[in-house]
Amino acid sequence: MKKYFRELSVAGALGILLIVLAILAPSFYSPQPLLSLAARASVSLVVALGMALVIIAREIDISVGSMFAVCSVCAGLFAAMHWPLALVIVASILVGAVFGAFNGALVAGLGLPSIVVTLATMVTWQEGLRWLRQGEFVNLPDGMQWFGFSQRLGQWTLVIGSIALLLLLALAMKHLSIGRFIYAVGSDAEVARLSGIPPRFTTFLIFVFMGALVGLAAIMNIVQSPQVDPQSGNGLELKVIAAVVVGGVSISGGRGNLWGVFAGLLLLACISPALTHLHIEAYWEKAIQGVIILLAVVAEGLRSRKALDHG
Amino acid sequence: MNAKQPTWKKNLFRHEAILLVVLIAEWIFFDVIGRNFGTYDNSCDILRHSCEIGLLALAMTPIILTGGIDLSVGSLLGLCAILFGKFWRDAHLPIPVAALCTLGVGALAGGLNAALITRLRLPPLIVTLGTFSLFRGLAEAITRGVDTFTNFPNSFLFLGQERWLGIPAQAPIFIGAVIFFWLLVHQTTFGRTFRALGFAPEGVRFAGVPVERRIAMTYVLAGIISAIAAIIYTARLGQAKADAGNGYELYAITAVVLGGTSIFGGTGSVHGTLLGVAAIAVLQSGIVHALQPSEMAGMLTGALLILALTSSVLPKMISGLRARKSALKLSKPIA
Amino acid sequence: MKRFLSYFCSLAVAASMIGCGKNSEAPAAGGNQTSKPSGKKLTVALLPKSKGNAYFISCQKGAQKAAGELGDELIFDGPTGTDPAKQNEIVENWITLGVDVIAAACENKEGISTALRKAQSKGIKVITYDADALPDARSFFVNQATPQGIGYTLMDQAAQLCSSNAEFAIITASLTAANQQEWQKYIEEDRAKNYPNMKMVAVKPCDDLKDKAQSETTALLSTYPNLKLVMAICSPGVPGAAEAVKQAGKTGQVKVIGLGLPNENKIYVHGGVTQAVVLWNTMDLGYLTVQAADALARGTLKPGDASFKAGSQTYEIQGDNIMLGKPFVFTKDNIDQFDF
Repeated sequence: MKKYFRELSVAGALGILLIVLAILAPSFYSPQPLLSLAARASVSLVVALGMALVIIAREIDISVGSMFAVCSVCAGLFAAMHWPLALVIVASILVGAVFGAFNGALVAGLGLPSIVVTLATMVTWQEGLRWLRQGEFVNLPDGMQWFGFSQRLGQWTLVIGSIALLLLLALAMKHLSIGRFIYAVGSDAEVARLSGIPPRFTTFLIFVFMGALVGLAAIMNIVQSPQVDPQSGNGLELKVIAAVVVGGVSISGGRGNLWGVFAGLLLLACISPALTHLHIEAYWEKAIQGVIILLAVVAEGLRSRKALDHG
Repeated sequence: MNAKQPTWKKNLFRHEAILLVVLIAEWIFFDVIGRNFGTYDNSCDILRHSCEIGLLALAMTPIILTGGIDLSVGSLLGLCAILFGKFWRDAHLPIPVAALCTLGVGALAGGLNAALITRLRLPPLIVTLGTFSLFRGLAEAITRGVDTFTNFPNSFLFLGQERWLGIPAQAPIFIGAVIFFWLLVHQTTFGRTFRALGFAPEGVRFAGVPVERRIAMTYVLAGIISAIAAIIYTARLGQAKADAGNGYELYAITAVVLGGTSIFGGTGSVHGTLLGVAAIAVLQSGIVHALQPSEMAGMLTGALLILALTSSVLPKMISGLRARKSALKLSKPIA
Repeated sequence: MKRFLSYFCSLAVAASMIGCGKNSEAPAAGGNQTSKPSGKKLTVALLPKSKGNAYFISCQKGAQKAAGELGDELIFDGPTGTDPAKQNEIVENWITLGVDVIAAACENKEGISTALRKAQSKGIKVITYDADALPDARSFFVNQATPQGIGYTLMDQAAQLCSSNAEFAIITASLTAANQQEWQKYIEEDRAKNYPNMKMVAVKPCDDLKDKAQSETTALLSTYPNLKLVMAICSPGVPGAAEAVKQAGKTGQVKVIGLGLPNENKIYVHGGVTQAVVLWNTMDLGYLTVQAADALARGTLKPGDASFKAGSQTYEIQGDNIMLGKPFVFTKDNIDQFDF
């Protein structure tokens, strides 16, 4: 119970918000809009899962927003060229993985600090894409939306798919050795290396995986509408890092679990619709987001202080 | 590099020296390729455009040297800009008083960061990520997103737009800040602890240095500098809006890292930061004068950053490879 | 360290000497330059509000056509991010670059006027298009539709589509966007004057992101069950809002109108989700802007003129506004005729 205090407190905060909404704005719970909200949140969840792994490994990746935009546009262009859907999905994941590998090579291979490497790649891909696309939407062919399913089935597919991914990854992190490697590398890379874990290879893999998840998320996003906006993904890195941190993953690595990230993401994703339903002006959104992040960080600090005192 | 190498050769291969060469090469390149690039007017403009970012980068240098980071400086610039406008327009304070109040706000905001980071021992990256949202959010909430402050008196706008004794009016402030930070970081014992803090904070603590106070000071200083930058920005633009300074923090971090300061702390210099700011500013101006799209400036900056990082790592890698090669040679059986 | 400093200083001095030696080849050294002899190639600098915006790209197409016809050089560049100071910096760079005329779409009216006045003082002609600066900072404004015209057209369209006491919501770009703020002012003015029983329940920003417009609209639809119309006054917002209405199953029950590009909205207009898209011919806007810019620099367009001929069409000038015409309403019947 104590061990999971952080994650439970986030879940608690989320619970309080949901109760407030139930009392003051029950219209929040109408099924169709809620499903649409969940479908949109599933996209961010997939990226947040990857980011959680990156941060647990004591790195960071702020280029996910730009990678997302590039993958979305590539996937859209492949689809517009009438590639079969399965191929488009695989291609998008591969494109993401390649970009992730580039980040990984620089961070793990050359030992460069991940915040600066991903800052550089973020700016480069973002500007490059803007130059090439000049804001033009990509029109998707018919039958692409919702994977060709009906809207409800498509949305449920996205939601269930992302939760299944969450389950899989949570189990993998707990039971597979790669999971333990990641925690080890995040806690202390040198000790990990001495224990026979390859820290650089693990780090490289994490970035590749992050890229692949971004590619997957891009597909999940573009099937939700008939056009691809090259600006999509703007601000994604901020949203996702905030969700991961609010969810209890420590920025100094080695600690945290994916369920907390799930709760953190839901909490942050609900702020904007909650403001609308509670008739609060839109310009409070950023301030509230900032306060939530700070509260989470303070809670994290208090927790680690307590652990230090007791341990 | 062994100690027997002459000093000039050692200096030549330092990061800052290479960056200086790159900067000069950039300048000459754009002078040749671009139209009217190398003129005095344009040089003044380059200075004017990079003044605020330069200030933020200068303030960021001690923070990064100690191993911290501050993502909130750009948002704080926006918040200070609108508060400055509000003090002047709605509270009817004269400009100098409004400016002083703004500096106070900057110090307070920096103090918030400092308190969370040093008192509660929270990681700077996330604290400043939170204040990054919070400050911008406050700016948007105070102005309800729509309010903007204009029609400042000409005597104020002079600061951002005109020339004083032939140089841009904000230049003396910037030069003053450069001298201040250079002295602080490189010449005072105070400042020398910054680098030590980046290397080994515990060691510094054992040496009896008040670690928390030093680190707190860097963040408060950053807050005050953000406020100064906000005032200059408002004078330059003639307008204060909630989205002022959007994206400036990343720009500042890029300049600092480009200048050779390690993001982990411990190594770096103020003159390196200055060169980093100059390199990016020259690039941006040069791209426009060379009639190339501005996106190119962004892409080249990203590429330049990666090259700079790689080049700082390369000597270590090469010597590492060399060491391994000689170790292999030694370990070969003789017969 | 000392050695390094001395390098630095000597190189800095050398660099500035090179700089000072090359003082301006800018064409307008004096402030009272009148006109260039016709036949000389002019440099026209076109500033959009931001790059990577399909609206301004379509203006650019028209602009390039005009520049080609006139034999001028066209520079098209703009901010790629959201920093308000970027437009000023680009204009100031163009001043030192030495362009002949600047045509600017202004993101921040007062802010950009600072830089435009500086350009005028160096003899560079300035006109604005799409979004005006302060009147003393430019010679003419190529007005595609007055903010009042845009606001009123939107509100009138909304009223036509709904009952007299309907609720509607607005999706705007970002809360700080100056153009949108002005349009909202006139929408409200028209509503208060002519449709006082219609109620505007919320204004939500979408930060120019289609996906965000979609999620904001979804939330609005469930918060306000009596919502009858969504008005999206930024171009990525129109398809975003339409998609949200479609996904909520409220096609036809909740109307969608907005300011957007025809190509992005064709599927929704044909699907009956979006009833009306208000705009103007952006290519004509770009074309007229460059034609006017060129004429201004050459002196054939002067303050006090009552009309201006660009290409084969003559445009009316009201005061210092060159009028493109009225806002155009794209509907199911005519949207296919346009490709931008």
